[in-house]
Amino acid sequence: MPDAVQNLQMIPLNDYIFFCSALFAIGIIGVLIKRNALVIFMSVELMLNSANLLLAAFSAYRNDPAGQIFVFFIMVVAAAEVAIGLALLVMIYRSTHSIDINALNKLKW
Amino acid sequence: MNAIIALSALAILTMFFGVIQKKSVLLPLILSGLIIVFFLNVIEWGTFKHYYNEMFIADNFNIAFTAALILTTFLVFIFSALYYRTVKRPLEDIYALMLFSLIGGITMASFGNITMLFIGIETLSISFYILAGSKKFDVASNEAALKYFLTGTFATGFLLFGMALIYGVSGSFNLQAINSYIIANKESIPTLFYAGMILVFVGMAFKIAAVPFHFWAPDVYTGSPTLITAFMSTIGKVASIAAFYRLISITFLNVHDFSVDILMLFAIATIIVGNLSAMTQDNMKRMLAYSGISNSGYLLFAIIAMGPKSAGTLLYFSISYAIATITAFAVIMLVREERGTFSLQDYKGLAKQNPVEAFAMAVAMMSLAGIPPLAGFMAKYNIFSVAMNGGYVWLVIVGVIGSMISVFYYFKPIIYMYFHRADAHKKIETTKAYKIHILLVSILLIILGFLPGLVIGLL
Amino acid sequence: MLSKYIFYFLSSVAIYAALMVLISKKPIHSVLYLTLAFFAIAGHYILLNAQFLAVVHIIVYAGAIMVLFLFTVMLLNLNIEGEFPKKNIIKFAAVIVGGLILITLIGTFRTYDLEIIKNPTLNQIGLVKNLGKVLFKEYLLPFELCSILFLAAMVGAVMLGKKDIQ
Repeated sequence: MPDAVQNLQMIPLNDYIFFCSALFAIGIIGVLIKRNALVIFMSVELMLNSANLLLAAFSAYRNDPAGQIFVFFIMVVAAAEVAIGLALLVMIYRSTHSIDINALNKLKW
Repeated sequence: MNAIIALSALAILTMFFGVIQKKSVLLPLILSGLIIVFFLNVIEWGTFKHYYNEMFIADNFNIAFTAALILTTFLVFIFSALYYRTVKRPLEDIYALMLFSLIGGITMASFGNITMLFIGIETLSISFYILAGSKKFDVASNEAALKYFLTGTFATGFLLFGMALIYGVSGSFNLQAINSYIIANKESIPTLFYAGMILVFVGMAFKIAAVPFHFWAPDVYTGSPTLITAFMSTIGKVASIAAFYRLISITFLNVHDFSVDILMLFAIATIIVGNLSAMTQDNMKRMLAYSGISNSGYLLFAIIAMGPKSAGTLLYFSISYAIATITAFAVIMLVREERGTFSLQDYKGLAKQNPVEAFAMAVAMMSLAGIPPLAGFMAKYNIFSVAMNGGYVWLVIVGVIGSMISVFYYFKPIIYMYFHRADAHKKIETTKAYKIHILLVSILLIILGFLPGLVIGLL
Repeated sequence: MLSKYIFYFLSSVAIYAALMVLISKKPIHSVLYLTLAFFAIAGHYILLNAQFLAVVHIIVYAGAIMVLFLFTVMLLNLNIEGEFPKKNIIKFAAVIVGGLILITLIGTFRTYDLEIIKNPTLNQIGLVKNLGKVLFKEYLLPFELCSILFLAAMVGAVMLGKKDIQ
């Protein structure tokens, strides 16, 4: 098996960086254009995932496990954030019956 | 390190006492616990220790800022008795979350590794998201929580991508290791590293509410329960600015030429936008939110100048800002409960009917405006002199102009309280304990104004 | 050559799925496309020889987070409302902003060249054994602090979720 793995050709690191930036930019666009709080939140998850993949790629190319450990911490935080975020969404929905962020205009911007 | 362990124990104890429905012991328990934690923290003074592979650096900077954070939390807890006096349930969850966010704040003041910075920021933020929405039946509170949550996680995304880029270039999360990478490769740092730095700065600017990443602050501070607003606008700001200072002073000091430009842009925009927007507000809570924004501009001065006195001045400014803000919010809480709104009109004639409260409010406002000899004046004076010594004359000029504008809106409530006749408002009944507390806090603000050297000399 | 093709395949799947998350009108479709994107990213992890990470990623993201999203969509019956249209000018501006960020990032990466590059397919750091050693030796303190973070999140979720009388 190791021989087979060795024979695989290497992917340039820059390709990973391009890919992660593209994913990150898509996440940003999603946060900015969407009005549904749930979808905004999903776009944020995309941004976090692009950071995760970037860390994992750097970690693998540097042969340093610290980057992958950091990814675990990001996953921990993402899980906690999702729990809180969805609890908040449910709470909002109970009082306003909508998760359109433009309906949240009691406080002026 | 003592402080974090003791605080975790205290928070869990708080939850246990909440479960057995002992409401009367909850607050005394927390207050005495905070005093113990304060002393446990202070006895470490002068020792310089690393814990767990430099994850946690216990130096004087950390201990001083931890003490400031604990003091601020203590003051907020004192006034929580007033704010929650009509609530019947034990409130252990809210108190425990406040202690959890304090732990996050302490972590942010003492990290030696980017991992710890991230965990600290998230512990603080997640607790804040929940606390902002803790008034579940109030639509404004719900809205504030969701807005804070969405913008906060968005900022976290930027922060993380920046951290990933910095890791990718330097190969480590350790602050010292990144610093030695910068020193070793000063000429050939790839632009990728600078991109990472900018993204991290954007993330941190979100957390301290610096313009142009401040837009969440007014809404969140207005919508949250007033006690929580007092807590968030002080603990959040002090912890984030301490983290920012630590990040730059340890890691990015050798590329400071690059960061100065960005930070100056933030500082100038923050002071101008914060002060000008505060002028037009009629809502006291919203005005204080903008005042908090403009104060983060002044706090950035110390980071930009990075002089020998920067850390001490930052500490002094943070303490004086925190105490003045909490005093103001303590009065706002009271007036809002009796008169129903946060409008300036409610403060008409307060001086005649409630002289103690009006005095405290006036002291807080004058301190924030920077009137001598109060703490706020000495704080602003010192921070300007730090910037002046660093050679940032233009920054100081903008700061002074912003300060002059700020006098206008900080004096509005004072004018309403002292020079307007009360229409139909009755005297607000308060307890004796509340009067003593608020008087003590405002006297603390006056005393602090006479001893700036003591605090600044600490660091 | 094979790994290159796999890389480009997974990347295009992930980007397509990410775009569809934004384009889909119904939240439930967005959730499903997001799951697809997560699986593609898990494939990337395997390609990077980070097997344990890939497994944890699938368990946490596809297993826990996506289920929570789906539950929210279904319990609140959010799907019928569809999307709330935003003004075209805002959409246009947002795309410009995102595109500018992308271009800036790519511009900074073009000149980048990591010297100590190693072949990721040869290293063994992605195995549980090695990761566990680092996590419980060097990163013990953040690991413990995560428990506080989780406790805070748990207390918060219970507090926000329960229906109590004032």
